[in-house]
Amino acid sequence: MGSDIFKNGTPFRYVQIDEGLCNGCVLCMKACPTKAIRVKDGKVACIEGVCIDCGECIRVCPRAAIRPITTKAYDFKESRYSTVSASTVLYVQFGEEVMPNEVLLALRKMGFSYVHDQAYTNEMFNVAMELYIRENRNKAGTPWPLISPVCPVVVRLIAYRFPSLLGHLPPLANPREIVAREAKKRLSVKYGCRPEEIKVLHISPCPAKMICIEEPVLQEHSYLDGTIGICDIYDTLRKHIRELDEDKVLHHSGGVGLGWAMAGGETAGLEIEGLAVSGLQETIRYLEKIEMGLLQDIDYMEFRVCTEGCLDGPFTVADKYQAKHHLQRLVRMFGVEKRVKYGYVKGLYEKGWFFTDKKDVELTGKAPRFSIAEGIERQNRVEKILETLPQKECGVCGSPDCRTFAEDVVDGKASLESCFYL
Amino acid sequence: MPNLKKKYEIKAKDFIRAGEGAIQTQSTLKSIGFEPDIVRRASICAYESEMNVVMHGGDGTLSLTVDGTWIIIEVRDNGPGIEDIDLALKEGYSTASTEYREMGFGAGMGLPNIKKNADSFEIHSGEGKGTYLKMAFRVSENGE
Repeated sequence: MGSDIFKNGTPFRYVQIDEGLCNGCVLCMKACPTKAIRVKDGKVACIEGVCIDCGECIRVCPRAAIRPITTKAYDFKESRYSTVSASTVLYVQFGEEVMPNEVLLALRKMGFSYVHDQAYTNEMFNVAMELYIRENRNKAGTPWPLISPVCPVVVRLIAYRFPSLLGHLPPLANPREIVAREAKKRLSVKYGCRPEEIKVLHISPCPAKMICIEEPVLQEHSYLDGTIGICDIYDTLRKHIRELDEDKVLHHSGGVGLGWAMAGGETAGLEIEGLAVSGLQETIRYLEKIEMGLLQDIDYMEFRVCTEGCLDGPFTVADKYQAKHHLQRLVRMFGVEKRVKYGYVKGLYEKGWFFTDKKDVELTGKAPRFSIAEGIERQNRVEKILETLPQKECGVCGSPDCRTFAEDVVDGKASLESCFYL
Repeated sequence: MPNLKKKYEIKAKDFIRAGEGAIQTQSTLKSIGFEPDIVRRASICAYESEMNVVMHGGDGTLSLTVDGTWIIIEVRDNGPGIEDIDLALKEGYSTASTEYREMGFGAGMGLPNIKKNADSFEIHSGEGKGTYLKMAFRVSENGE
């Protein structure tokens, strides 16, 4: 009985399971922070509306059976005007000899008509965030600390598991969205075409970017047209780096904008009270603290679910510690100052340039809705079943732990006989 | 209307497990399906009162009772009790040691914060009698 989620296929949205490679072990199910995965009769399934696309399952799978769905580079060759911006993680994937400018030049060689330096926009965003915090710190009604909207998994985690914290997300648009919006606006004028004809692609270390495009939480719609994993273009790009014959300055940022790829990099560029927390479990711990009204004297929290920050994303190629070492050197080389002009950024800020087009961020989580009476009844039944379970947390039943198994039984998604010990 | 009861032990000076009762309370209330605001207010109160027991109160318990109309959190301890309750309810008044202040606690906001966030609040204490705290949160029809 009960395993309905398996009947309708696997409603993973942006990851796919290669059933030939999957042997039905429970590592992904155990690693899932929102308990979205179940494993039954050697098959993996995902409960709809619970997955936050963090990529933990991709990371822990020893057989590489879980693969993310991203846009393929060739889709973009079709469009007349393609633009690309890359996470600054890409800048440090090719060893210490390769400078950020060379990576950007190589992207142009790949055939993109316009290549944008994301690190520069990161610095602009730092300034805008400082301005926003100074403007609102003493106003009544703004909840503190503000939470960085940069990590897409954190935004989803808040929407699904901590909806009471949605108000802590400032109304500033993500730097990668700002880049895409401006590229469409400016290049359509330059080329004399419609903004939709300008395709903007983001090169990313992170599988969660795809869902941000399809189902954005903080935007009415995303200005980006697709994402490519760093690992998907790595080889091609490396070849182009070796064969560079062009000399043009595309990289404009200082060390601050580059440093964003590391955990703590975003707050390092902020001259306010900021805390940087990284790693999925730590992030959840600190979101719980904020939910309990703690940390109100902090202005800004940078959360990154990957332990070393974006350098540690599932789509990276370079060893994260070597990449970090390389990046720290670049930060020293380009200076620990922002290169953006303060007055210029302030002018843009006052014109609303940094703000998202979404007015009210509503709850997007699809938690099961029942009445309070039903909720209490359900909870009591869960506790009662839990008392009979061995609490060995083995996962053999197909649910990630005994409590979740008890919930699955109550919700009719699993049967009690599936417990190995009973 | 069905109801649900849960009870957590609180150990004096156990800073490793401190706050665990509040986190469990928060997670139970979320699973039942209460709206974010009431969950937030209840967990702030559970946390503040649990920390008070850990720091000042000796051993104690945190009990959660939920029915369709109220969320009730009761915290009792067998500690030294509060000498002057009116003073303890003043913002900024604190008897916490320097050591606790260095840990980031003891700003004198605990009880005032509880009073602010609970819909109804009762405190009974006296020197040598321990402390009993009852905090209630009214549940509206749609669980808010």
